[in-house]
Amino acid sequence: MTDGRARIVAWLGREILPHEGDVRAWLRRSLAAAGDADDVIQETYCRLAGLASVDHIESPRAYFFQAARSVALEQLRRARVVRIETVTEIDALNVELDEPSPERIAGGRRELARVQRLIAALPDRCRRIFEMRKIEGLPQREIARRMGVTEHVVENESVRGLRAILAALAEGETHQDAVPRRSSSHDRTRKRR
Amino acid sequence: MIERESAADIEARAVRWVVRADQGLLTAAERAELDAWLAGDPRRAGAHARAEAAWVMLDRAKALSGPSPSPARGGMVRRGLLAGLGAAVAACAAIVVVPRLLSARYGTAVGEIRRVPLSDGSLAAINTDTVLDVAMRPRLRQVKLDKGEAWFQVAKDPQRPFVVESGPVRVRAVGTAFSVRRRDGGCEVLVTEGVVEAWSQEVGAAPRRVRAGERIFVSDEVGPASPAAAPIDITRSLAWREGQIVLDGEAFAAAAAEFNRYNARKIVIADETMGEEKLVGWFRTNEPESFARAAASSFGGKVSVRGDVILVEAGE
Repeated sequence: MTDGRARIVAWLGREILPHEGDVRAWLRRSLAAAGDADDVIQETYCRLAGLASVDHIESPRAYFFQAARSVALEQLRRARVVRIETVTEIDALNVELDEPSPERIAGGRRELARVQRLIAALPDRCRRIFEMRKIEGLPQREIARRMGVTEHVVENESVRGLRAILAALAEGETHQDAVPRRSSSHDRTRKRR
Repeated sequence: MIERESAADIEARAVRWVVRADQGLLTAAERAELDAWLAGDPRRAGAHARAEAAWVMLDRAKALSGPSPSPARGGMVRRGLLAGLGAAVAACAAIVVVPRLLSARYGTAVGEIRRVPLSDGSLAAINTDTVLDVAMRPRLRQVKLDKGEAWFQVAKDPQRPFVVESGPVRVRAVGTAFSVRRRDGGCEVLVTEGVVEAWSQEVGAAPRRVRAGERIFVSDEVGPASPAAAPIDITRSLAWREGQIVLDGEAFAAAAAEFNRYNARKIVIADETMGEEKLVGWFRTNEPESFARAAASSFGGKVSVRGDVILVEAGE
């Protein structure tokens, strides 16, 4: 990773990821199929990762919502898509932006607690690998040796663990104790395909 | 738009790249492979940045000291998930033990969609406003579709063909899955698995074979047309089984007619030009008003509701 890239990635992890659950919940209320929300999220990260600088961004949470909104609208225009509630829900954006950011309330302590909780929620073997890797800073080879498994197994478990953590972030698990989440009351049809 | 790479697949690959790159194990060739992959779709680049961000964020854990946290929370989450699975399994089991009759009539009201297991082990999904008579005879499984639409997952039984009768139209299957929809002057048949034979008794011509992924119209008076391959189309056309209407370039008027099949409140489009506008989207069958409003606002129209009529007019 180059320096600029490393800074953006760190910023994404610190300032953007914690809000993903809320952005997703908002997208799900706005778009009929959850599959579309996944697409919008990925494209939004692509845009954010491509930023030359993030210094000018005062409220990353608001910026994240705006970026997701613009990606969603672009997709709608591109496909001439109309979906349930899209038009009305897109205005609900303002409500979300007024909520105080959990980051701003809590700062670094909560961030550490969040990381701790994410790792703690992993299945046993995954958790041990993540603790050795991320807390003790051991290389993969050494982790494999200590656990008596191949490096390939460690890699697979790491992939599994990181995906579980991304899923937890997508659910907005990370700050449920900071802000009561608006429950998605719509009984939405989720699946396409 | 249905067959594109899924967000989940993209995420899985992105995560693997991040984990491998972290070990400093990427060779120049792998690095080039990664770059080519990332360049293929902005969603990939996004998923990769997201996975990388989460991975790096976890490095904050190094700042922690003391014993590692209790896993109780995670355990609870998983138990919750398992309990949910248990309920889902129980719901499936409940469907299987529904009593089976040898001869039965199944009707659905407007807007109703039912799934019923048949006594031979087949399954029928019955769409809105449909009447289905099922008779299980020793040498024949006979299903009469007087009106409406149904999809069948047919249990294999070579000794007892499964025949759907709709007016003079016949559709015969042994072990396969297909749907039959009664329309004016004939039936539309979509095959999702295996092969069926379709014909009209009014015509002497031989039955036409229709294979998985094909659709065919069987006219009462002229018999079957040529089957057309349309696998994606078929998936969309059968979205009603999940209570959905999937539109991909249909005209607004045709889409409204589709909603009107499911609802007592009918959409009426007063503006003919607007009725020809094409649209794409995913909707629930029981939300005609949301659909009408979304479409109207997209085409610059306005919607008013009077009694059972959802009227769409051109805007000012």
